[in-house]
Amino acid sequence: MEISINGDTYLVDSDPSELLVWVLRDELGLTGTKYGCGIGLCGSCTVHVDGVATRACITPLVAVADKEVRTVEGLAETEGGLHPVQQAFLEFQVPQCSWCMSGQMMTAAAFLSRNPDPSDEEITEAMTRNYCRCGCYARIKVAIARAAQLTRELP
Amino acid sequence: MSEVSARTGRRWRVSRRGFLIGAGVAGSGLALGIFYGIPEARLAIARSLDNSAAPGRVEAPPDVWFEISPADRITLYLPKVEMGQGVHTALAQIAAEELEVEWGQLGVVQASTARGLRDRTGTASSNTVSSLFIPLREAAATLREMLRAEAARRWGLELHQAVAMDGVIFRSDRPSERLTYSQVVEGATDWEVPEDAPQLKPVREFRYIGRSMARLDLPDKLTGRAVYGFDVRVPGMVYGAVARPPRLNSRLKRAAVGRAAEQPGVVSVVAEEAFAGIVATSRKEAYDALEGLELEWEEGGGVDQADIIRLTTVQDGKGVVIQREGRPAAALRRGRIVEAEYRTPMAAHAHLEPQAAMVDVRPDKVVAQVATQSPDAMRDALAELLGRPKERVEVTATYLGGGFGRKLVVESALEAARLSAASGRPVHVGWNRTEEFRHGSFRPPTHHVLRASLGAGGAIQAMEHQLASGDVAFSLLPAVAAVVMGADFGAWRGATIPYQIPHRRARSQRVELPVSTTWWRGLGLLANTFAIESFMDELAVESGEEPLTFRLNHLGEDELSERIRRALIVAAEASGWGERPSEGRARGLACCIDVNTVVAQVAEVSLEPRGRVRVHRMTAAVDPGLVINPDGVRAQTQGAIVMGLSSTFLERVMIRDGRVEAGNFDRYPLFTMAETPEIDVHLTGTGSEPYGVGEPPIGPVAAAVANALFALTGERFRELPLVLEG
Ligand code: FES
Ligand code: FES
Repeated sequence: MEISINGDTYLVDSDPSELLVWVLRDELGLTGTKYGCGIGLCGSCTVHVDGVATRACITPLVAVADKEVRTVEGLAETEGGLHPVQQAFLEFQVPQCSWCMSGQMMTAAAFLSRNPDPSDEEITEAMTRNYCRCGCYARIKVAIARAAQLTRELP
Repeated sequence: MSEVSARTGRRWRVSRRGFLIGAGVAGSGLALGIFYGIPEARLAIARSLDNSAAPGRVEAPPDVWFEISPADRITLYLPKVEMGQGVHTALAQIAAEELEVEWGQLGVVQASTARGLRDRTGTASSNTVSSLFIPLREAAATLREMLRAEAARRWGLELHQAVAMDGVIFRSDRPSERLTYSQVVEGATDWEVPEDAPQLKPVREFRYIGRSMARLDLPDKLTGRAVYGFDVRVPGMVYGAVARPPRLNSRLKRAAVGRAAEQPGVVSVVAEEAFAGIVATSRKEAYDALEGLELEWEEGGGVDQADIIRLTTVQDGKGVVIQREGRPAAALRRGRIVEAEYRTPMAAHAHLEPQAAMVDVRPDKVVAQVATQSPDAMRDALAELLGRPKERVEVTATYLGGGFGRKLVVESALEAARLSAASGRPVHVGWNRTEEFRHGSFRPPTHHVLRASLGAGGAIQAMEHQLASGDVAFSLLPAVAAVVMGADFGAWRGATIPYQIPHRRARSQRVELPVSTTWWRGLGLLANTFAIESFMDELAVESGEEPLTFRLNHLGEDELSERIRRALIVAAEASGWGERPSEGRARGLACCIDVNTVVAQVAEVSLEPRGRVRVHRMTAAVDPGLVINPDGVRAQTQGAIVMGLSSTFLERVMIRDGRVEAGNFDRYPLFTMAETPEIDVHLTGTGSEPYGVGEPPIGPVAAAVANALFALTGERFRELPLVLEG
């Protein structure tokens, strides 16, 4: 089966029922997408499927056929660059262990593309289903507000 | 030769022979290493530190060392692991300070055990920065002095005329003439280690220590490049899955391969006494094939929550006395006696990266990459399991997606080793979330009985804390420790009474449980502080005193009391303690001392419809002594408070019929962004010595919240998690 990830086309021979998180991580070596619970609750495995934040641990491979998958490895527009969300997470030194952070950033990036000027409450509402055991929530929140600002300032 | 504590900072008496250096070795122009650890820090320089050196060639490989590359890149090899606490960055700051290099020149590499890592304690108990603060500076300063001496020799100048700054040595008489560190190294053939201990910088001259340097590990972490235990991939690697018992204590009686070997993707099947597992080409195939095994398990006891609670109960007057001042027994029979009991439950570490390891058992050596807090102990455990000499087992710690004490022991590495030995392939075992919940190890449950005698005027005359706890540190020590010590010292963290009360006693009782319990962030600190600081609040109410004043009244004149006083006052003032909270809100206060760090916190809470508690704000004052990285201390405090709140309101591991009820986050939710309050952190630390910061701030959280709830509702909450009736 052919799937498109971060703009590249991959030919994978995994079973179509195999879950996307394992195809990405174990088959393709895109280990930036993390596993935390396997039941869609923690958000660590969040990727974009046609721009929509999607939990890869409950998404079978077949569901992304003909769709565009984006992972943290392809979040930045340019090779070696940073997406405004990554830039803001760096600026506010958000991560601790960072296991949850790919999922946090992918969730945030999809959210900001729909809502470029969110209120604090809207950020919380969008992010509250992503666990961070290290407790970086306060920083995640301010960094997303900052990322929104950075995005608006883009030419 | 004699060894000298590098901690004392005095003259080293180590003979020169102990300081042989390999200079000019490809890839590492000059290397200088140190030993540290228990009981004494040792200083030495390893010779021959090129990457290809067989362990045997380095007679005494160091624990921590520097390498200067020909491109003037300086690499600091560390045994301490990075699990989000920012220690690699903090240690780099400490090293850069004395080495006199530019920040961008320094990189940190996690050393593998084959490079001589001897970190007996592992990365735990918030001791990383405090234990390495002096040894690392002395090593860095020694290296700098050697470079200066060599440059001076080459120029024919006195030592003081060769000045080190930003990775360069220049002549004081002709500042434009300079050599980079690597240029100094390049021309040198013979190195001498100064006989005198180098002068360490005074605090006021620090330029990296005390600044919020950006974390070195974040660029890789934010782009998905950082490699954690679960992310390890090596050529030829396959995946392992292990058969799990139906109940906590049911052992495998008989195992047969059954149909497992014929399942798709299966590489090999292990069916041994007490262990059965599958190796397959994908995780799914490995887990699916477990179904094909023929396994017979012992019934296992049907333990229930009630059994855990019954076992975890203080027996009056039993256990090890861990604090005694005055004559508490007699004093507790006089005056007005107040007594209260508190409980905390078992809880899960719930690090978001489940434990994981890759182990490759080859005929001649064993190579492992593991998300472990203790690579050294891991190496020993693998050597023992496989019957191999330790020198032929190499463990490299990866980044950890959270550890919190749980990853001091990584069972998945031992499982991967058995499966790799059987299959002849490198095997990765990464537990799923259900394995973490059902087959893991937990924060132990505790029970506390507090008793005090109030004198006339409301002063506490005597106080006693009796604690019963499941094992914490004993889980990692030889059984003999339990016999010798009688009670688990890990459970004692925060268990002694810090106030100046004439008669004081604390006792700890060991509880043996049918469930595995272990190290947790702060060990017993959260539970003990919840009990002691809630009780202090109760006593304040009993004596009709305002809680802050009541605490201040029971502090002494010593330095520690002074630090507690300052933290309490700073937290109280910043929280608006003196002013009335807005309608429907109340505040509560608590403090603790842990690993010499002092923390005070104020919680501000209200009640929402349907009996839900809302925490609006947590104000913390933290005094960790000398602060290495202020932003790092703030981050650790914020994180510990969130974890503490999660424990305060949500977390409890329940046992029913010999099983852990929760198998995933659906039955064991964690705190989320929506519940997280505003967190305001104030650093009140001073001095010239850093203490720990990873754990102490978790101490006061539950007590501060429970005390605030009492102020709001008049109801006293003596059990975690706090559950409101109705
Ligand atoms: S791993 Fe997918 S939501 Fe937790
Ligand atoms: S940074 Fe560790 S789980 Fe979020």
